[in-house]
Amino acid sequence: MSDTPSSEVVVARKRPFAPYIAGAVGVVLLAFLALLAFANPGGTDSAESPLLGKPAPEVKSTLIDGGNFDLARRKGSWVVLNFFNSTCVPCRQEHPLLVKFAKEQQGSDDPVELYTVVNDDSDAAVKAYFDTNGGDWGKVRDDDGAISVAFGVAKVPESWVIDPDGYVRMRVIGALSEGFLTARLDELKRQYSGQS
Amino acid sequence: MAILTVGLLAVGTTRDKGPMTQGDRIDAITKRIACPTCDGESVYVSRASAAENIRKQVAREVAAGTKTDTEIIGTIADSFNAQILLVPRATGLDSLVWVLPIAVLVCAVAGLAVAFRKWRRQNTAGATSDDIDLVNKLLAADVGVDPTDDENV
Repeated sequence: MSDTPSSEVVVARKRPFAPYIAGAVGVVLLAFLALLAFANPGGTDSAESPLLGKPAPEVKSTLIDGGNFDLARRKGSWVVLNFFNSTCVPCRQEHPLLVKFAKEQQGSDDPVELYTVVNDDSDAAVKAYFDTNGGDWGKVRDDDGAISVAFGVAKVPESWVIDPDGYVRMRVIGALSEGFLTARLDELKRQYSGQS
Repeated sequence: MAILTVGLLAVGTTRDKGPMTQGDRIDAITKRIACPTCDGESVYVSRASAAENIRKQVAREVAAGTKTDTEIIGTIADSFNAQILLVPRATGLDSLVWVLPIAVLVCAVAGLAVAFRKWRRQNTAGATSDDIDLVNKLLAADVGVDPTDDENV
């Protein structure tokens, strides 16, 4: 009978894996913490969209009050597209702010062009709403939902800002707050005018 | 019989089902896109307004006939985001969804193989002469016979 195996050989083969595993778990946890620390918290700035910083999708349609709309022909001006439905409560809540914004822009040196994109609503309902609540800017039809899909709009209201070169600069999901659009547009104009 | 069954199943699942109609293509594409306003429903199933808009867009793209199914889905994902895809892309960061489970499985199998090999090596360690002597002594004391005697084995 051979007596070659010994307890000393077995002990020598053992390796301390636990510190390596603990180290790996620690690295993963640190990576998650770093991800959380440097993630965009959202909130007051632009909402996320793959379209930000890219040329705006093609938007060609007709206006409820007559005439055609082609976003590409609006180049040279800052454009705000506000996706709207007359039965949507947040849309109705932000409407007075948009009326005020439009009036401010009329007296501005560099006026922003505001357009409503009608989302899943009838011409009659939209006209009646604007007649009652004010707002004389253009109302763009989106009967087939092509504009909404092109911008990735799932729910209204949403507002998008396109710069004079036709690049998407901001997306706001949900109702606007008092003064937000004016303040952010001033910042965007300073940041991007003539830079695209 | 088993081979025949496996062969028939393989042929049945991989054979060409023939040309698809436009309706079939729209259904197939919309089944791969999530409704952006619903919880866990595809555009194919959902009747939400946003899902209807996407379905109309898919129908227009299919009717135009200039894009493949993957290109149509990619266009929609470019407008919304990759989260709208029910079947994640196999490129870029999204590919981790496919790669990570396989990597974890391979690591787990490799770990088990190493562990089994280690255990087998430990189990094959033979008894030392000291061990044998100790067992013999204990057996002799307990039974009162010499275990090394062939007749008692």
